Amino acid sequence: MFRKNFVEYAILLLFKDRNDHLFSFLIFSFIVFILSAVLFISDSLQYDLIRSINAQPSIVVENTRVGRAYPMHEGHVYDVSQMTGVSSVEGVVDGYHYFAQKRLWFHIIGDPSLAKDEMLIGQGVQKAMAELYYEEEFHFLTEERLIKVKINKIAPKGTNILSNDAIFLNPNTARAVLGMEMDEYSKLYVSVPNPNEVGNVALKIVEIYPSAKATTQEDAIGAVRHLYYYKGGIFMILYVIALVSFFILLKNQIGLVYGEKKKEIAILRSLGFCIKDIIALKFIQNSVVSISAYLLGVALAYGYVFVLNAPYLRNIFLGSELENSISLTPVIDINLLFLIFLFGVIPFLAFVILPAWKIAISDMSEAVKS
Amino acid sequence: MSHILIQNLNKLYNPNKPNAFYALKNINLSIEDGEVVILKGVSGSGKSTLLSLIGGLSKPSSGEILVNHQNIAKLPDIMSSAFRHQEIGFIFQSFNLLEGLSVYQNIVAPLALTTLSKEAIHETVSRAMHLANIEHKKDQKVGSLSGGERQRCAIARAVVMEPAIILADEPTANLDKENSLIFIEILKKFKTLHQTVVIATHDTLFDDLSCIDRCVHMRDGEILE
Repeated sequence: MFRKNFVEYAILLLFKDRNDHLFSFLIFSFIVFILSAVLFISDSLQYDLIRSINAQPSIVVENTRVGRAYPMHEGHVYDVSQMTGVSSVEGVVDGYHYFAQKRLWFHIIGDPSLAKDEMLIGQGVQKAMAELYYEEEFHFLTEERLIKVKINKIAPKGTNILSNDAIFLNPNTARAVLGMEMDEYSKLYVSVPNPNEVGNVALKIVEIYPSAKATTQEDAIGAVRHLYYYKGGIFMILYVIALVSFFILLKNQIGLVYGEKKKEIAILRSLGFCIKDIIALKFIQNSVVSISAYLLGVALAYGYVFVLNAPYLRNIFLGSELENSISLTPVIDINLLFLIFLFGVIPFLAFVILPAWKIAISDMSEAVKS
Repeated sequence: MSHILIQNLNKLYNPNKPNAFYALKNINLSIEDGEVVILKGVSGSGKSTLLSLIGGLSKPSSGEILVNHQNIAKLPDIMSSAFRHQEIGFIFQSFNLLEGLSVYQNIVAPLALTTLSKEAIHETVSRAMHLANIEHKKDQKVGSLSGGERQRCAIARAVVMEPAIILADEPTANLDKENSLIFIEILKKFKTLHQTVVIATHDTLFDDLSCIDRCVHMRDGEILE
């Protein structure tokens, strides 16, 4: 193990060259910050979406015609409820209403617990409506008429990501707003108690109704994961930024052992430091820099995402036209953080230790004479 | 106690290349314990190369360097470094101090490899600073020192491990006459402490000094008889 005096001297030399190490420290913190922030946001959003999906029934059935959602009827509810393995089927009203004045789409969800003339709205919806002075009630403009509904409740700030653009209405009011008939449903929620049977039931539904789409919880979770797949879109751009920064960092790291530093290695060698000591010295110094930069980067990312709610980045990730006020649930994937540590710290150390070793094994006599 | 015996020593630079040349040719030299020896010669005569080889900073192409009957040319790095750490004190022409550190922090460098307590380290460094007469500047950054002070700091660092052999490469080349005389006074102290000292220089100030035991003349990598 390292001797105390040796470690203290390594730290002393590190502080002597603090300006040289500061650049590496800042760049590395920035890289860890970017990667950790992306990781925290995507993990948090995935976690919330998956939690919402888990709260839904085993299968969601939607009817389609010419590739678009098409209403379902009581007959569909009855047929599916007769299938073996199905415990219950619930017809739900769910669709999108275009708010032309703000050029926004609101997510309309039927909720039987609400009276016909009242509604519960998400924070994003409330803000959009308030901008046009709809504070007490809102007027849904349909082809036939104007439907007035009281704004009864607003979903509290920081609630689920899915409720931000949602308007919960009595199912019949929702049908009227969406232009559906009173016996129509937009989706069926199918409950299957045996998880092993879910796939079979979904297949049976599609066999009976070839135009229907039966989405299991597993499929929905897969879709969410795909949405936040780490190689896709914006992630790629952020990773490229991190990668470019990393190469700048490595170039700086190599520079830390050439020039004046080469002479310093030669001086230490002349004082009796062996090659192993030089490598240990560089290892200690750069471990201190990289680990502290890593911890700072992660801590800043945590604060940025979960305390400040990721300003700027959040909107890129959520992709909603509505202003989002949701709070990101703190979720930390230790495995991925460890991977960032591993793939960050090891090259960081290698790019200074290998050149230092190369210099340390060379003939020192010329370096000490210069 | 330290006896240096050099036998058939050769140092070839750039071997197997068109610009290959012998910096040292068939050197045979014996330096007794406590002896103060001057290596004299013009630039390029091989004095510094010989010091580097004695100090284990580079390896000879052939031949032996026996210090207390141990061939240091054949030692693996870890052992030759330990030998350099414990037995050798280097004083360089350009001082080779660690810029940005204080006098104390420079002198303490070799002690970083020891397991001595803080108190023992402090005492050892103080002793070395006293010998080199640099204690009054101990907290000053070496960058702000004069040439003579830098030299004394380098001397204190060279003697802090109380080495048996001191190797000085052109120690007065960057000093004015006053500071050169101070160095000679310190050299006299080494002599009274019975330390083996090898100095590579072409400074005439060292001619006919009473503390010098022997003067070895070199030219073109060879010792002149």
